Amino acid sequence: MSLFRQRIERIGTALLDAAGAAIELWLVYVSTIAGILRGLSRRRGGRGRPRGELVRQLFHIGNKSLIFIIVTLGFIGMVMAYQACLQISRVTGDFSQIGPQTLRLIVSDFGPTITGMMLATRVGAGIAAEIGSMKVTEQVDALRMSGVLPIDYLVVPRFIASIIMTLMLTTIGSLVMFAAGGLTANYSWGVNPNLFFDLSQVRPRHLVLFVIKAATFGAAIPVVAGFCGLRARGSSEGVGWATTAAVIGSSFAVIVLDFLISAAALFVTGGDL
Amino acid sequence: MTTAIRLEDVHKSYDHRDVLTGVSLDVPRGGKLGLIGPAASGKSVILKLICGLEQPDRGTIEVLGQNIVGKREAPLGDLRQRIGMLFQNYALFDFLDVKGNVAFPLEQRGGMSPDEIAKRVETRLRAVGLAGSEHKLTSELSGGMKKRVGIARATVADAEIVIYDEPSAGLDPVTTQKIYDLLAADHARTHATVLAVSSDVVALAQFVDEIAFLYRGQIVYRGPAATIVDAPDPIVRQFVRGELEGPLAEVRA
Amino acid sequence: MIDEPPAGSLDHLRPQRDEPPPPSPETGIVSRAFEGIGGGAIRIAQEVGGIVVLSGQVLRALVPPRIDRRELVKNLYKMGNRSVPIVVLTAFFAGGLMTLQAGPFVIKFGAAALAGWAAGYAVLREMGPILIALMFSGRVGANNTAELATMTVTEQLDGLRALAIDPVQFLVVPRVIAMITMLFALTIIGDFVALAGAAIVARVMLGIEWSTMYHSFADNLRPYDFFHGVYKSLAFGGAIAMSSCYFGITVRGGAVGVGRAVNAAVVAAAVSIMLLDFFLTYTTG
Repeated sequence: MSLFRQRIERIGTALLDAAGAAIELWLVYVSTIAGILRGLSRRRGGRGRPRGELVRQLFHIGNKSLIFIIVTLGFIGMVMAYQACLQISRVTGDFSQIGPQTLRLIVSDFGPTITGMMLATRVGAGIAAEIGSMKVTEQVDALRMSGVLPIDYLVVPRFIASIIMTLMLTTIGSLVMFAAGGLTANYSWGVNPNLFFDLSQVRPRHLVLFVIKAATFGAAIPVVAGFCGLRARGSSEGVGWATTAAVIGSSFAVIVLDFLISAAALFVTGGDL
Repeated sequence: MTTAIRLEDVHKSYDHRDVLTGVSLDVPRGGKLGLIGPAASGKSVILKLICGLEQPDRGTIEVLGQNIVGKREAPLGDLRQRIGMLFQNYALFDFLDVKGNVAFPLEQRGGMSPDEIAKRVETRLRAVGLAGSEHKLTSELSGGMKKRVGIARATVADAEIVIYDEPSAGLDPVTTQKIYDLLAADHARTHATVLAVSSDVVALAQFVDEIAFLYRGQIVYRGPAATIVDAPDPIVRQFVRGELEGPLAEVRA
Repeated sequence: MIDEPPAGSLDHLRPQRDEPPPPSPETGIVSRAFEGIGGGAIRIAQEVGGIVVLSGQVLRALVPPRIDRRELVKNLYKMGNRSVPIVVLTAFFAGGLMTLQAGPFVIKFGAAALAGWAAGYAVLREMGPILIALMFSGRVGANNTAELATMTVTEQLDGLRALAIDPVQFLVVPRVIAMITMLFALTIIGDFVALAGAAIVARVMLGIEWSTMYHSFADNLRPYDFFHGVYKSLAFGGAIAMSSCYFGITVRGGAVGVGRAVNAAVVAAAVSIMLLDFFLTYTTG
């Protein structure tokens, strides 16, 4: 077979694999929602989610990521403010709009996006590692032997916890980002804090966008990571590969979803954002 | 029904590799069947197919009168609660302690009060010789202890079918004997249907009624366990006796 | 001498961890909080120390350079070629995202010329290098940690040492070089793709002409903006490489340990990227 045809075949197979994986991923998402609805209706008696698991996941995902988020978003907040001030000083020298515009950008995009990327690495890797090692040591099969649906037991608690915690962490992270930015602007460029910490440019639509993005990212990460974890095969290598795939997949999902939501927002508001 | 498990012409392949190429097997109710064969011959795959953990490419599988093939996960869950399984690598839940592990099938099935469950768990743990270990974590257990917890979990619900995947692998001869005594005592008590996979043919033969030999994806022999060493089939004889010379030479390791 | 630890022993890298005593039941919430923070700080310090020691070993192995050529080439290929698709896609979306952020200004004030400048500036200096580095950390760093961790757990590293081969020299050094080189190359490629992505999105969604974008880039962006981002990638590459290798070879426990090692490596890399970005931006403007 010619090299060209081989290449085409490889691309074709890769695309088919990707399509198959995308469909499976969508099924995981749907099953997760179904699992939540099942849990809410309490039809199945004692079967399913373990008691206290939700709280454990909230702690695991939330509290333990707090420092990480504060540190990373703090630093990048400083950097972004610095870069923005640098550019302004080169062009107009008018620093009055830096603060409000920065806040607008943080609320409508950078806050959720960067928090999402950070959580995609931390939470995505964590979930995939946990679920992956359970899959590889046949604990998932053992769960199924007791009539438990792995999605209900493993993914759903993490899904709910992740959405809640992502919203909270994004809020905290965005505040830290903004505050750090203000400090930097003041320290390096002498921007008056009163001038910087100005909320006037943030409108309800930005807050809506904030919530939508943070919730979407919070939902996407555990679905992707759980999916990768449940597909782990083999032993330690399987877990390693599942964790890697989860980090890549969640990060990429955050970026793509961010893009799609931003584009949609632009259309819906006719650019008035 | 008189047949607890029935497989007919079952085929299964993974990644273009044919593992099972037409397996037909049946286990009568209350009977004990042992399954032996070379490594990676597909014994564990058969167990997984019976439990519906995987689906065959072709063939029929009936468990307790119900067809497994094509069944969805939720109804399979109901059926699985009538089956107890000991996994080859124990598959103990590392997020639960010993008590939590053994109590799990009972809790999921529902219908028992926490006290009843606790009592049942205690009885089981005592039977497997682990009384007092309720609160140990799986990381604190030795291999033999984990195996026994696995057996306790598989038998705690007095399931109609019990499947043991390598109940004595990696254990010393004395512990092996204890384990098989335990399995025999359980069977005498519950008259459950038993399917056991083991590479320790001698110990297995003392426990089960019949032994089936899986070779190259098919069941090539099935006969009484007591006379397995003198089986008419030369391949089986060579395998059971551990001889190096014979028709079994090309084993796919 | 049989008693001496073999050359290339990794024990000094593993934190000699005396687990802190569990808090006694009477301890109040505040004391427990302090213990938690203190314990966490000690752990972080141990890990940072371990990474620094490993870095020292890597540097020492570079002078004079004794690198296994085959390992180097194998890793260059694995980390470079196979990462291109995901990095390219990420860069494309990152560029497009920046354009969308500039969108409101363009639509409201008609400042089409600004779009290229704003998007380009953000991409070249910050968003490009950071997002590409994060993606690289996920794709290559995590994979590398998983591989090294699996090798450690299956005692292959011990096997190498038994053959008097220093695992740091044989395994770690080629990977570190490969990762730094490849992230550098990928950032360069990624920057261009991001600019292209920005232009495409500008054209398709905001109706800005190609020429406008091009001029916007050319007039407002300086070569230094490009280099500023690209040389940051060298530092990011180093951070990712060291973190990835360190957590890979100091893994403990079986399959679960591997997962945890990957988790730790990826988190450490992300934090390092942010910290380094901060320092580099401040010191080099």
